[in-house]
Amino acid sequence: MSLPEPVTTMASPFRMDYTYVAGVGRSVFLRGLAERRLLARRCPGCAQVYLPPPEFCSRCLSELEAPFELDGLGAVSTFCVVNFPFPGQTIEPPYVVAYIQVHGAGTRLMHLVREVEPERVRIGMAVEPVWAPDDQLTTSLKSIQHFRPVRGADA
Amino acid sequence: MTAESLSAPYTVEFPFERTVGPKIGTFLGGLRDARLYGVRTERGVLCPPLEFDPRTGAETGALVPLVTTGTVTSWTWVPSRPGDPLPHDFAWALIAIDGTIGALFHAVDVGGEFARMSTGMRVCARWRQDRIGGMRDIECFEVVP
Repeated sequence: MSLPEPVTTMASPFRMDYTYVAGVGRSVFLRGLAERRLLARRCPGCAQVYLPPPEFCSRCLSELEAPFELDGLGAVSTFCVVNFPFPGQTIEPPYVVAYIQVHGAGTRLMHLVREVEPERVRIGMAVEPVWAPDDQLTTSLKSIQHFRPVRGADA
Repeated sequence: MTAESLSAPYTVEFPFERTVGPKIGTFLGGLRDARLYGVRTERGVLCPPLEFDPRTGAETGALVPLVTTGTVTSWTWVPSRPGDPLPHDFAWALIAIDGTIGALFHAVDVGGEFARMSTGMRVCARWRQDRIGGMRDIECFEVVP
């Protein structure tokens, strides 16, 4: 009996459905986004400022202080240029994904940096958030469409 | 400001495709034809087959046709979820195909009756009607009548 014709590739799809629970602390931040507000919170123990803030400090476990607003101006802390296409991609490569150090925060936010050629992005570049139109504001980071270089700033 | 937590449904998904070696490829081709194959090694016939013997690193030998019956060596009971091979609760099991070494991982259907599962039970493959050359060409294993 002859052997079967070999198969050369097999599909090995990965898919997982789950529920993301933001938690009380992060929900404060997400609700702020829907009002174009970036809400940070400070730790009374170590003075670390979290953006986005959880409920408790991850270093000393103290409950964080009351939320306060930051203007969103910041600097590119580090970044990568995405050149590779992949299924489900919503933006045509190349595009820039960066860690943004928002002024006044001790943590960094990951977001897109657009309205600039990828090759012109630099670590330290001053950036500002571009908020979504009113009808697209939501309790998610999608309320910020992307960050862009601050006009007139010398990076 | 409300103290309630927000939540939202999420899906992570990526449609991986992987290439297979010549022996695993032939094994999968066999499944498409509703036939089960193993490969020869110094230690015995390995099913499911591998390109190399994990114990010695030696290249595995010829493919040999097998029966589709075996013995459950280990199992765990699970509730059925969307995308699972069976619409009712079932067992994921390691099955030693008769005449082979190794263990084939697959679902065992006992009609949703947990009490019918036992280590050492005899099972056989139930073939799917539409086969494409993948592990799911075996719908599941069922109790040998």
